[in-house]
Amino acid sequence: MAEPVVIASGIAAGKGRDAVFSGLSFQIEAASFTALVGANGSGKTTLFETLLGLTALRQGSVDILGCEPAAARSEIAYVPQADRLIHDGGFIGREFVAAAYNGRRWGMTLRYRAAARAVDRALDLVDARDLAHHKLANLSGGQRQRLLVAQALVNQPKLIFMDEPLAQLDPGAQERIVALAARLRDTLGIAILCSTHDINPLVQTADRVLYLANGQGRVGPIEDVVTDETLSALYGVPMHVVREHGQVFVIPAQTAHCANPKITSLIDRLQRA
Amino acid sequence: MIWPAPLDMAFMRHAFAAGTCISIAGSVVGYFVVLRRQAFAAHALSNVGFAGAAGASLVGFDPMLGLFVFVLAAALLMAVAGEDIGHRDISVGMILMFSLGLGVLFVNLYSANANAAIGILFGSVLGISTGQLELTAGVSLLVVLLLAAMFRPLRFASLNPAAARASGVPVSLISTLFLLILAATAAISVPVIGALLSFAIFVGPAAAAQAWTGRLGTGIALTIVLALVETWGGLWFSYYVNVPATSCIASLSFMFYAASWLPAGRSWVLRRRNQPVGV
Repeated sequence: MAEPVVIASGIAAGKGRDAVFSGLSFQIEAASFTALVGANGSGKTTLFETLLGLTALRQGSVDILGCEPAAARSEIAYVPQADRLIHDGGFIGREFVAAAYNGRRWGMTLRYRAAARAVDRALDLVDARDLAHHKLANLSGGQRQRLLVAQALVNQPKLIFMDEPLAQLDPGAQERIVALAARLRDTLGIAILCSTHDINPLVQTADRVLYLANGQGRVGPIEDVVTDETLSALYGVPMHVVREHGQVFVIPAQTAHCANPKITSLIDRLQRA
Repeated sequence: MIWPAPLDMAFMRHAFAAGTCISIAGSVVGYFVVLRRQAFAAHALSNVGFAGAAGASLVGFDPMLGLFVFVLAAALLMAVAGEDIGHRDISVGMILMFSLGLGVLFVNLYSANANAAIGILFGSVLGISTGQLELTAGVSLLVVLLLAAMFRPLRFASLNPAAARASGVPVSLISTLFLLILAATAAISVPVIGALLSFAIFVGPAAAAQAWTGRLGTGIALTIVLALVETWGGLWFSYYVNVPATSCIASLSFMFYAASWLPAGRSWVLRRRNQPVGV
């Protein structure tokens, strides 16, 4: 097994009165792709903030590349959801990517050649040289997402956190982003933690899943975690997992039987098989 | 020394020199003001300066001192009130409202000098003293140097605040520092261009430049050029035609902004670079 990049032991976090999640333990290895799955409010963003040292731990400990989270920030890149950008996209792609280059250092970039090389490399890695001179406002969601990833790559991180990169993308663009993330894992050995509310676009690619629900989490290969038994225990109510055509559907058992005869018959077929 | 006609009098030389200083400093600040959607804060800080100057005159201090104290205090208040873009205009508006209320009170108590109040609201570019020019030049230089010193984190925090924060950029500190720099620039601009016309410096040239180019360095350079053309052109025109200089500057600022939205102008500049592209 590859060396662990992130080691979280029994962590609990959350800004409100109650922790959003607790007792969460997992490891992320170098050159791995972990899908962070959970519904809205299940704690995906809180987990990212905890791993970045932006939200205090209530319990447990996090070790990233042998450091405290805040000390490891130079090795981590965070790709926020595209709709969290406040400007109107009047910038060309190249300028947007360059904004991150040594962005946490004071002063101005004086070594233009080195900066330009770093930006070119990042654009090439996401196959976005052709987007470099177009304004963000004129690009599609998938193209903008690729530039966000390029911006994350410009400082050569060892670990990338992607916050819902597939939200609001059409299936073709989703596939392209997932393939891009897999390529970064395989060619650069970057560890990727990618949050999503729908696991299906990642089923073929993710090495492991970190499934958050009900203030707890389960970690492991998708076929071990996304099962009736594990998810029923996690949610605290009986859950059914339906696999069909390589897709995975997680449904409360009650709803599945009562509401949708088609899904009920799918589950019956699955159980007979 | 032989000066060209508009510069043969000291007050005109002062006006050109002060206009040049605030054009350069105001352009660099203004570029980030437009980028960070803080135009309302720029407008409000300039008007807060009016209350400060009126208050200082009332108690017998230098109006510039009151201006600086009020705008810097208001900038700190805005920083404390928060960065959340959804609520920021409300807190800025409340601070503006409160300080204008104070300004009205100060002018009312100090009725001997209502003309001074008009001078602050609409500027008195032709009445700039040597001392004021020195202060304007010094603060302008300081503003440009400070922005150069925080250029990289400011750029990152302006274009992608969430990623900047995650990578260790002190985003709140950067926001506070930027508001203070904006406040200092507003303080030196108010006596020259006027509290009510600060958009001519802080917003007009930068907004036009950002419509014309998607490059940061080019954009800042273009903003400075537009602001200088606007200030010099306005002063020159007012010298020959005998209309208020600030009116000319404000008109030129609006013309640049309007020109940036003409469909023909946009497509002429951006045709090559800016076509929509496929997936």
